[in-house]
Amino acid sequence: MKEKTFSLIELAIYYIVIFFILREWLVPVMELTNTGFLELIMLFIALCLVLSLFQIHFLISGLIKFAYIIWFIVFVYGGVFVLSAEGIDFLFNDFQTNIAAVLRADWLHITNPFRTFLFFILIWMLIYLIHHWIVVRMSVFYFLLLTVFFVGTLDTFTEYDGSFAIVRVMVLGLALTVFLLVKRLLKQANITLDLKKYLKLAVPAILLVFVMSSIAIYLPKFSPQWPDPVPFIKSATGQGGAEVNGGGISKVGYGENDSRLGGSFVADDTVVFLAESETKQYWRIETKDRYTSKGWEDSGYFQGELSVFEHQQIIETSLPVGPEEDTKTATVEVVNPYDFIIQPYGMKSVTSAMVSVLPNLEFMLSLDTEKIVTYVDRAPTELPGYTLEYSKPVYLYSTLKNPTEEIDPVLFERYLQLPDTLPTRVRDLAAEIVGIRETPYDKARAIEMYFKQNGFRYETDNVAIPSEEQDYVDQFLFDTKIGYCDNFSTSMVVLLRSLGIPARWVKGFAGGDVIDNHGSSSTYQITNNDAHSWVEAYIPNVGWMNFEPTIGFNNSRSIEYDLSTDDYEEEVLTVEEETEPDEKIEKETEPKKTAAEESQFFENIAKFFEQNKYILIGILLLALVGAFILYKIRRKWLPKVYGKLYRRKELNESRFEASFLQLLKLLEMKGFKRKEGQTLQAFAKEVDSYFENGHMSLLTAAYEQTIYSKDASAVNVLQMRESWEYLINQITS
Amino acid sequence: MHRQVKAIIENIEKVMIGKRDVAELSVVALLSGGHVLLEDVPGVGKTMMVKALAKSVSAEFKRIQFTPDLLPSDVIGVSIYNPKTLQFEFRPGPIIGNIILADEINRTSPKTQSALLESMEEASVTIEGETLQIKKPFFVMATQNPIEYEGTYPLPEAQLDRFLLKIKMGYPSAQDEVEVLRRAANSEPIVNLSPVISLEELLELQEEVRSVYIEDSIKSYIVQLARATRNVSEVYLGVSPRASIALMKAAQAYAKMQDRDYVKPDDVQYLAPFVFGHRIILKPEARYEGVTTEDIVNRIINKSVIPIKRYAEQ
Repeated sequence: MKEKTFSLIELAIYYIVIFFILREWLVPVMELTNTGFLELIMLFIALCLVLSLFQIHFLISGLIKFAYIIWFIVFVYGGVFVLSAEGIDFLFNDFQTNIAAVLRADWLHITNPFRTFLFFILIWMLIYLIHHWIVVRMSVFYFLLLTVFFVGTLDTFTEYDGSFAIVRVMVLGLALTVFLLVKRLLKQANITLDLKKYLKLAVPAILLVFVMSSIAIYLPKFSPQWPDPVPFIKSATGQGGAEVNGGGISKVGYGENDSRLGGSFVADDTVVFLAESETKQYWRIETKDRYTSKGWEDSGYFQGELSVFEHQQIIETSLPVGPEEDTKTATVEVVNPYDFIIQPYGMKSVTSAMVSVLPNLEFMLSLDTEKIVTYVDRAPTELPGYTLEYSKPVYLYSTLKNPTEEIDPVLFERYLQLPDTLPTRVRDLAAEIVGIRETPYDKARAIEMYFKQNGFRYETDNVAIPSEEQDYVDQFLFDTKIGYCDNFSTSMVVLLRSLGIPARWVKGFAGGDVIDNHGSSSTYQITNNDAHSWVEAYIPNVGWMNFEPTIGFNNSRSIEYDLSTDDYEEEVLTVEEETEPDEKIEKETEPKKTAAEESQFFENIAKFFEQNKYILIGILLLALVGAFILYKIRRKWLPKVYGKLYRRKELNESRFEASFLQLLKLLEMKGFKRKEGQTLQAFAKEVDSYFENGHMSLLTAAYEQTIYSKDASAVNVLQMRESWEYLINQITS
Repeated sequence: MHRQVKAIIENIEKVMIGKRDVAELSVVALLSGGHVLLEDVPGVGKTMMVKALAKSVSAEFKRIQFTPDLLPSDVIGVSIYNPKTLQFEFRPGPIIGNIILADEINRTSPKTQSALLESMEEASVTIEGETLQIKKPFFVMATQNPIEYEGTYPLPEAQLDRFLLKIKMGYPSAQDEVEVLRRAANSEPIVNLSPVISLEELLELQEEVRSVYIEDSIKSYIVQLARATRNVSEVYLGVSPRASIALMKAAQAYAKMQDRDYVKPDDVQYLAPFVFGHRIILKPEARYEGVTTEDIVNRIINKSVIPIKRYAEQ
């Protein structure tokens, strides 16, 4: 019955498709479990499919599969050949161990070879099931559904990237579904189609699947709505967020929405701007004041009020400015235009050459965020470049050590805000960190230093996103201790606030890399990778001061040590403490960076191949189908091809034998089949009686002489040409 | 076809109508130095056949009519005391000749049969310690009635092996038989037959046959056929290596007759039933079922694999 429903070739095509779909099952499993030998397991699948295809007796096929599994296990785990003494010994020992474990129901002590064995059995069963689905049920819907679900789940919850696997599965699956549906309908209606009609039906269907898939691939798609569900699920199931697998990955760079922090990001080398200045400094963009337990928002304290400054006018921000004599300039050349001005600490004014063409140029300072946006005719405008005047603030050590100003909690309310949901252990931790320190500056320093020790790690991958019930800072401080600048800076702000020190969260860019030197000034290149966040705390008597809690980053503050040497030394010591681990980290991160660059490079290549692989599989599939069709109708075209080939190649002595044997094959395709026991001469007579001449006998006699006589060179092959050409023409026409 | 062979066959055809294949096979045996066993009922022209052949090659023809009371000495000759010379003189028997027709050999006693076959095999006769070599060419054509007939002494299997070919004559077709009658009415055609080649030419031809090339692939094909006869369920005893040699020699002769200096599988296939037929011993049950050894050989040929490449390339 089976033979009637499916021809061998048809079934073979289905099996090839199934093979590729099964591959999509195996690849992630191999990737995630770090299992090698994908090829060998794929070979097993191929073996199972071929055995099933030719309907080998189940005893024989079972034996072959079993032998393969045993060979694989001994080869992979024992490293020896199965039929060697060591191989048999290995098998026997393993068998004993596992039987004992199974009998004791001691599932933990089952050995890996036995697990592998079970895995193979599973594949075996799966293939049997697929065979049943195709041949009997003629529907692979459940299998497809399972595959899509499987790949989707793995893509969502693990590192496995199934974006193209899904596409491949869909294309292959839809094609297979189409054919099986046709098959089923034909069977129900009890009709058969010849190849021509079948192709008329199948080719458009296949084309449709491919066209639709191609369109679907190039259509824009939503990014993941829920980048990393793992921490959420873990917390929801009570597992906490200590162990976090990365998930949603975003790109590094400046962005305005910080309401949900967390998640991994990948590097982005896009250059944002170039700055020529004498000093390396942080570039401030804006600050945020309201912590939501998930991220940062603007509280809108001034309800969006703006201060307007003109070209070269002194801009007044909340930050202190250094002495007049230290005024320096920084020239900014914007590469990736933004409509805001980046601010060095101690910024005084902005000068732009554009003012001559844009007389209505204005700089709007948001009182809420201190973001300065460029406006031309009351519309935000991007400046290609500008010059900044700044004088770095200098803090007197004596002032820092002896504060006299009292913090007014009402005035600084917005900078002391904390969500009610903030766990008390965060506050407790803050108190614990500062200990007996008295001054706000010392407290802030203690917190700043806290992150450099105590097991925190700078990492851009595998960074958790807090769940609904979780606090971003709490998760970082107590559960994960892994994160990047946002984690460190936010945590410090929250810790400071819990101690009653006004603090705010600052966004901007870190100093960047030197790409050029001109005398006293250097050109710094700032890329999206330099996007950064840090802390500003209000220190009594001196005002807002920047702090850098993030491991591996350093922001200089100018502090004038005007106290006695004892205190001075103490501070120097702490400063040294501060820089040492930083250097260490930098050293560590440097080789990492190059390795990351390399892996990025290979990733790109892999990605390229991944994308092309899909196309390749498509081409391969079409080629296979084409090859099968060509094979089926070879009687129609092959003689013609040969004919062309041989007409071009003149018959000569050196290849007379090969040519004659080829002629026999051609004749066979034409239907002249020589029985093994039939002599060439007898066969030639048969052929000649069909063509009603003696060309074949003539050729055969010559051939017989070449192979049976003592002196083969006595044959004059050139005389055979006419007969040869005649026969080739007859066969191929 | 070889010029001289063609002449011989055409000569024979002057007196034998419609028996070209028998004539050809006889010439095969003659050229390869073997002997022929003609099996058929009396009166179909066996004697005429041999006479014509002998006459065509200018050979001395002798005929021995085997009867139950024929003695070995009647075949090979006898020493007689000559009172004049006071010595025994050897009187050679009819076997000392070129072409001998041993008619109805299964009518004589095994002892006499044995004497004939021995001298056929060794091409010599030994009487009282004296060995006499028989001149070449030496060609015996024995005839026998089908063994089912009464009053016969069937030839033992080992002795059948001494014949290169066993040929069945068969009745002529109706048309041919009319022609036979027409010729018989006019004259005795055999009388007018003249030789077409000399004995020396015949010996030369025999020499040439031995140098016909036989490719290793063909030899292996012969062996393939011979071995196959030993593995047939109906066969009690297959052919011996001597049969393989016989087939090879016959094939060489046949190739020469086609004016070819190499053997083709066609030669082997054509001759195999005649060479192997009388050498295969069927099981009794197969014989009862009417299976003939020729059927078996033909079956083997059909199942065989013809070499279509050079031996080294296979």
